[in-house]
Amino acid sequence: MFLFFFSLWLPQTVQFRGSHWQTSLLAFKASLPMRAQPKKKKKVDIKREQAQKDRMKKKIRKLEKAAPEMIPIEDFMTAPKYSDSNRVRSLPPLSFEETERRVLLMKKWSLYKQKQDEAEKKAIQTLVAAQQEALKELRLESEELYQAAIRRDERLFPFERDGPNYTPPLPGYDPPEGKCIDITKVYTQ
Amino acid sequence: MDVEDGQSEREKGVGAEPAGDPPTPSPPAFGGHPGDTGGPLQPPAADASAGVFIRREGLEFCFEGCVLGRAGGNSPNICRAVCALTGASLQVLRSEKQTLLKRAFALSRAATPQESRLCAAGDALASCCRHYRSRPTHGIGRFKYLLPREAPKRRRDRLQMKEINVGTEYEYGDINIQMTSYDMCLVEQFAQYVHKLCNRLSVRVNESYAMPTKTNEVLFLEERGSKMQLDAVLTTHQRVVQISGLSSTFAPILLEVIQSNQPEGVHLLVKEHTEADFKSRLKSRPELEELLAQMN
Repeated sequence: MFLFFFSLWLPQTVQFRGSHWQTSLLAFKASLPMRAQPKKKKKVDIKREQAQKDRMKKKIRKLEKAAPEMIPIEDFMTAPKYSDSNRVRSLPPLSFEETERRVLLMKKWSLYKQKQDEAEKKAIQTLVAAQQEALKELRLESEELYQAAIRRDERLFPFERDGPNYTPPLPGYDPPEGKCIDITKVYTQ
Repeated sequence: MDVEDGQSEREKGVGAEPAGDPPTPSPPAFGGHPGDTGGPLQPPAADASAGVFIRREGLEFCFEGCVLGRAGGNSPNICRAVCALTGASLQVLRSEKQTLLKRAFALSRAATPQESRLCAAGDALASCCRHYRSRPTHGIGRFKYLLPREAPKRRRDRLQMKEINVGTEYEYGDINIQMTSYDMCLVEQFAQYVHKLCNRLSVRVNESYAMPTKTNEVLFLEERGSKMQLDAVLTTHQRVVQISGLSSTFAPILLEVIQSNQPEGVHLLVKEHTEADFKSRLKSRPELEELLAQMN
């Protein structure tokens, strides 16, 4: 029995000893590595994270220093092919009657537009005068209403209106199916 | 020309005593007597020993025959002698050949005033820096100090200013009148019209700018077939006129006028100016946004 136990015991010890490194390692793992790894995690990772954050902050600061640029407007950029000096329109010479007709037409048109403009200015003046008079009368009537009328209208803006059309929409028109793709050039800084 | 920068102190000394000095009958001596400039209107007379040489600065404008001063050689002497006549801020530097001076002086005297004026006109175009420092008319043309001080323009775009509405006569803050259309010329002319109208009605216009153009590709489905066909490429143009200080009683009138003149195909939108509107004009910065997202 003793031998048996001993045999039992021995192999274990032998095992242990065979892998004494292991036991010691295990012991080590139990002791030192268990202590060292959390330290690594704490120090190095925190440092790394902080360093990363600092770098990112620096980058952000650098990018923010650059002033924001406006998007260039394509309307104002003429294509070089249009500014080619070879493009010259050759117009036929006009007859005397034609030039006279045009000049007289221009005069009539300018006179018409002048009248139109004057009428508009007059209309604005009358509008303003009428408004002022109405407000005066309102003030005489009741001060409260006058104050309320003077106040600005919050529901006025935003104000949207489509322009008039040349032709009204056709009744019963069946448009073909399709889609609109936005191909505006995106500018990035 | 005798330009001597080292003489600046003497010049200053000269300028500091403009009319305090009684006009000394003796001609100015040579070799730098700071105080002895002679009276303002004293010509050196026959004393050719009055070798008066004027500093270049004082000379540049000289309205009698300065043009001669431009050429080298004799002309500087003539010029200087002539300037002595006019009584400009004189300064004695040194004298040269006296005989030459006498001749030059005589010549200059002989020159008709008309010719000298002509010469002067030519030179006034060429160089213009009047510096009558000793005269009471010094700085007569200054006006910049009367203008309001402009804040130095920074390179970065400053954000908009929003007005706070206070008071009985309520006023609107910054308002954007946005006009959109497919037709560029029409929308531009309408924007011009609105701008001029606001000027005429004394409504303050902050800015008048264009928004970036948007391009759309319109495709439609063919009747027989499943293929999408390109119909047209449309460009949408937008112009914005930004006004501020619109009074509440006048706003509906202005709107009425603008509406009545609205052309076909131009879509009108009047709204208050916000920061988002301003930001939409700027280029997008994806890198910065990415980094900011990562940070948060």
